[in-house]
Amino acid sequence: MNKRNRILLVLLIFMFLMQGCSSETDGEKTIRIAEQYGIAYAPVQVMKEMKYIEEELEGATVVWEQLANTAAIREAMIAGELDVGFMAIPPFLIGWDKGMDWKIATGLSYVPVGLVAKEEIPSLEGIGSEHRIALPQPGSVQHILLSMASKREFGDPKRFDDRLVTLSHPDGVQALFSGSEVSAHFTSTPYLEQELDQEGFHLILDGKEAFGQEFSFIIGATTADFHEEDPEAYQAFVKGIQKSVDYINEKPREAAALLTKYYDMDEDTIYGYLTDPEAEFSTTAKGMKRFGDFMLESEYIEKMYGSVEEILWEGTLYEE
Amino acid sequence: MKNKKPLVKKWMWGLLLLVAWEIFARFGGASPLAFPSLVDIGKALAESIISGDIVQQTAFSLGMILWGLFLALVLALALSTLSIINGSMDALSDTLVSIFHPLPGIALLPLVILWFGTGSKAVIIIIVHSVVWPLLLNLKSGFKSVPLIYQKIGKNYEYSLGKRMRRIYIPASLPFGLSGLKIGWARAWRAAISAEMIFGATGGKGGIGWYIFNKRVFMDTPGLFAGLVVIILIGMLVEDVFFSQVENRTVKKWGMSQ
Repeated sequence: MNKRNRILLVLLIFMFLMQGCSSETDGEKTIRIAEQYGIAYAPVQVMKEMKYIEEELEGATVVWEQLANTAAIREAMIAGELDVGFMAIPPFLIGWDKGMDWKIATGLSYVPVGLVAKEEIPSLEGIGSEHRIALPQPGSVQHILLSMASKREFGDPKRFDDRLVTLSHPDGVQALFSGSEVSAHFTSTPYLEQELDQEGFHLILDGKEAFGQEFSFIIGATTADFHEEDPEAYQAFVKGIQKSVDYINEKPREAAALLTKYYDMDEDTIYGYLTDPEAEFSTTAKGMKRFGDFMLESEYIEKMYGSVEEILWEGTLYEE
Repeated sequence: MKNKKPLVKKWMWGLLLLVAWEIFARFGGASPLAFPSLVDIGKALAESIISGDIVQQTAFSLGMILWGLFLALVLALALSTLSIINGSMDALSDTLVSIFHPLPGIALLPLVILWFGTGSKAVIIIIVHSVVWPLLLNLKSGFKSVPLIYQKIGKNYEYSLGKRMRRIYIPASLPFGLSGLKIGWARAWRAAISAEMIFGATGGKGGIGWYIFNKRVFMDTPGLFAGLVVIILIGMLVEDVFFSQVENRTVKKWGMSQ
C-alpha cells in the first residue's frame, strides 16, 4: 500500500467512526435523551442502568446524548436532535416563553440547594459589589431563587445580577475554596454538603426558604414532535421514569449501589443523599406557577400560562 | 482606485450573503428561534444600543483587549530582543513557544481560575497568552530576515542596543511585526470573548462575551446575533480601516510590501 492509499484508508476509518457518533435516527422507536449528572438526576441513571424504557417498549433504542448544559439541551431540542431533556423549571419556562414547542412530562426530584458563603459574609446583605456569586448560569433555578430572595429582602430582584460568575458546580467549588473574589456559591447536593463540611463556610440562603414552598428542582420535558409522533415511546418514557423513582424510594440501598458506577463516592455517601429527609424523588411536578409569576413580574419572561395544560402534557401529575 | 475595488467587491459579497440570509429566514421554514430574520436582529441591536448595554459592554471588552495586546507586545518585544543578543535566550524563547503556542487559552482556564480567580485579571492573562506566542514567533522571524548588511551598519555606527532595535530591527522587520499584530488582534478578540463566556461578568456589566452568553441562556436569539454583528463590524473596522491605514503609511509607503 502506498502512502496516499494509507492516508485515504485512515480518513475513511475516521469517517466511519464519526458516523458512529451521530445519533441514530433511522430506526423507529428511538428515544434520544440528554444524559446529566448529579444526585438530582439519580432516576435518570437508574432508568439507564435498569433499561426500564427498553423493558416497557419492545425493540426501543435509547440514545444517550452528552451535552454541556441546559442551554445546549434546549438548542438540541429546537434542532430536533433530542426528544427528552431534564432541567429546572425556570430554564423550561424561558424556552416556553420564547416559543419552544415543548411541555413538562414528569417531575423528577428535589435535592437540597442553597447559597454557601465565606464566614465573613453573615448574610445576603454582606455580599457587596466587590464580591462575586458563582452559579451555573443566569436564568438557572439558582439564579431565580437568588432573585426571589433578593426581591423579598431588598425589593430589587436584579440587585445581584451584576455580581454573578457563571461556573459549573465543580469549578464553582474550586473558585470558592481558592480564596478569589468568588465569595459565595449557589449550588446543590453533593457540592453543597462538600462546601459546608469545610471550615469557614456556611449557608446563608436555603433554596426552599427562598422559594417559600416545596418545588421540583428538576423536571423532565419532551418536544411536541416526540409526544405526538411516537405516543408509545412517550408512554414508555413516562413509565420508565415512574419505575426509576419508585426504585429509589423503595430500594435506596440497591439504588445507591447501582449509582457508585456513576459517581466518585462510596455507597454509604450516596445512600445518605438519596435518603436525606430534605431530598425528594417524585414524578409530581411542583412550583411552576410561583416560578412563572415571579419571572413574569421581574421580566425574566414575557408571558405566563393561563391554564397549566399549556405547559404540561396530559396525565402529568402536578401540585401548585 | 486600485485599492478601492477589492473593498467594493468585499462589501458586495457581504450584501449578497445578507440577502441570502433573509430569504432563508423568511421562506426556509426554519424556526425563528434558530434563524431570526434581519429585521428582528436589527431591532434587537437597536434596543441594545439605545439602552447602552452593548456599547458599555463592547467598550469594556475592547479595554481589556487593548491592555492584553499592550502587555503581550511588551513581553514579545522583550523576549525577541533578548533572543537577538544571546543564543541561549534564543533557545529559551523557542522552547517557550513550542510549549505554549499550541495550548488554547481556554484549556488553561481551570488553572487560571485556581491561581488568579475569575476577574478581569484572569481574562487579561488568557488574552496575553493567546497573543504573545504568535507575536513572538513573527517578531523573531522578522528579526532573522533583517539583511546582515543592515545589522553590520548598526554595528559600524556603534549604535546602542536600543538604537539598533529602533532604527534597524523594528523598521526592517515591520511587515512581520504588523502581520503578527493582526494575528494577535484576532486571537485577543476571540480569547476575550470565549473567556468571558465562561467566566461571566468580570466587573459591573461585563463584556460583549457576557452579553452574548446572557442572550443565549435567556434564548434571545436575535439578541445573540446582534452581539455577533457587533463583533463582526468591529473586526472589519479594525482590519479595513486601522491596519490598512497603518500599512499604507509605513510598509507600503516604504515599498516593503504591496
